[in-house]
Amino acid sequence: MSAGLITLIDYEAGNLASLEGALDRLDLPYVRAASPEQVAQSGPIVLPGVGHFESARRSLQERGWWRLLPELVAEGRPLLGICLGLQLLAEGSEEAPRASGLGLIPGIVRRLGPGVKVPHMGWSQVRQASPHPALPDPEGAWLYFVHSYALEPAAETVYLADHGRPFAAVEARGKVLGFQPHPEKSGPTGLLLLQSTLAWMGATATTPEAPCN
Amino acid sequence: MPAKRIIPCLDVKKGRVVKGVQFKELRDLGSPVELARRYDLEGADELVFLDIAASLENRGTREAWVRDVARELSIPFTVGGGVSSVEDARSLLRSGADKVAVNTAAALRPDLVCELANAFGRQCVVAAVDVKRDADLGWRVYLKGGTEPTERSAIDWLWELNDLGAGEILLTSMDRDGTGDGFDLPLLDLASELPIPLIASGGAGLEIHFLEALEHGADAVLAATLFHEGILPIPRLKTYLAQNDISIRI
Repeated sequence: MSAGLITLIDYEAGNLASLEGALDRLDLPYVRAASPEQVAQSGPIVLPGVGHFESARRSLQERGWWRLLPELVAEGRPLLGICLGLQLLAEGSEEAPRASGLGLIPGIVRRLGPGVKVPHMGWSQVRQASPHPALPDPEGAWLYFVHSYALEPAAETVYLADHGRPFAAVEARGKVLGFQPHPEKSGPTGLLLLQSTLAWMGATATTPEAPCN
Repeated sequence: MPAKRIIPCLDVKKGRVVKGVQFKELRDLGSPVELARRYDLEGADELVFLDIAASLENRGTREAWVRDVARELSIPFTVGGGVSSVEDARSLLRSGADKVAVNTAAALRPDLVCELANAFGRQCVVAAVDVKRDADLGWRVYLKGGTEPTERSAIDWLWELNDLGAGEILLTSMDRDGTGDGFDLPLLDLASELPIPLIASGGAGLEIHFLEALEHGADAVLAATLFHEGILPIPRLKTYLAQNDISIRI
């Protein structure tokens, strides 16, 4: 059972209610971990996040996550960052030039604009930049974004989106993945992407499929 | 550019969605969760809930339905009504709202906008503004559900809200609200100069009114009765807008 359990990091900088609702609808079991001791023994870890880069980083540091996450990733644990969660995985952000990121994904997060409305708030289309086993070609699917900063695209970027310039909508490095949009807020399309991502990361549904006769 | 957004607005009183704020008889339309589910399926891009009788006593009720809506909904939603402190906003965001809307409290104490933006990021802060055409000011800002005139010019106040840290403006034309005669387009022309997204509200009656508002710079359009009564189903509206070259999520 615990093999496929998802750990949701609760560090008071994420909107957990909608994420929990999405996981419930997908029938994916999870634990909400307010401290590192509560991390499930195995299974994917989800780092949500809204707000300011530096205050989120501080909050993760105070709770012991900042040190722990790179260790878990080094052990091969899958990690999914969503929105600010993705940005925290990068090397750093223009939002907090003096505070480094976790560095689990190379690259710097830069402010959007000029010439476009910031924050980038609403539904934008994403396109495939490089194939990934967990993520199908989105073929222009609409996903919901709310952010003022974005990760610069790299060779490994999975999905791209545009707001004034192209940026990384989904980024992957090994078992570390980051979503800039909110899949839990992106209607049925978002739920499907969340499902396939977490399944690829090893999450298993509550109700196992009926065994073959 | 993100897609233009279609946003149904739901008035909530004591945990129920109601219709007919200006009438004594409020009609019960259902629970927030029921309506949320319906609009999610219909293809709404976002929802706005306005708690029209917000008070200290019903805070617990509100947190409960906000939590239920957050768990059920697969699109973002804003909650407003009586938000006057960082703590009010925190309770809504902790319960699962994506954004909070502030109106009267922000006009009475503009620093509130700044405090909210600092605490939660400006993307969480929707500044709702009710305005009426005025011989002296162009458009005048009204408070307390449109009952109390201020000395503020609407356009000046919108720019001030932007400077204070609002992430989005929800602009209601009281002249047009409930008329079905179309949005106040000159108002949208001016307000869409702002560097933050603009939600147009007040006056929607026909499909073409939505098209006009979006062509006059609105990033999103909001309506209530038209959607609640099923007069204009959202899928039909979206198809119409897409056929008229508006970028829309279908």
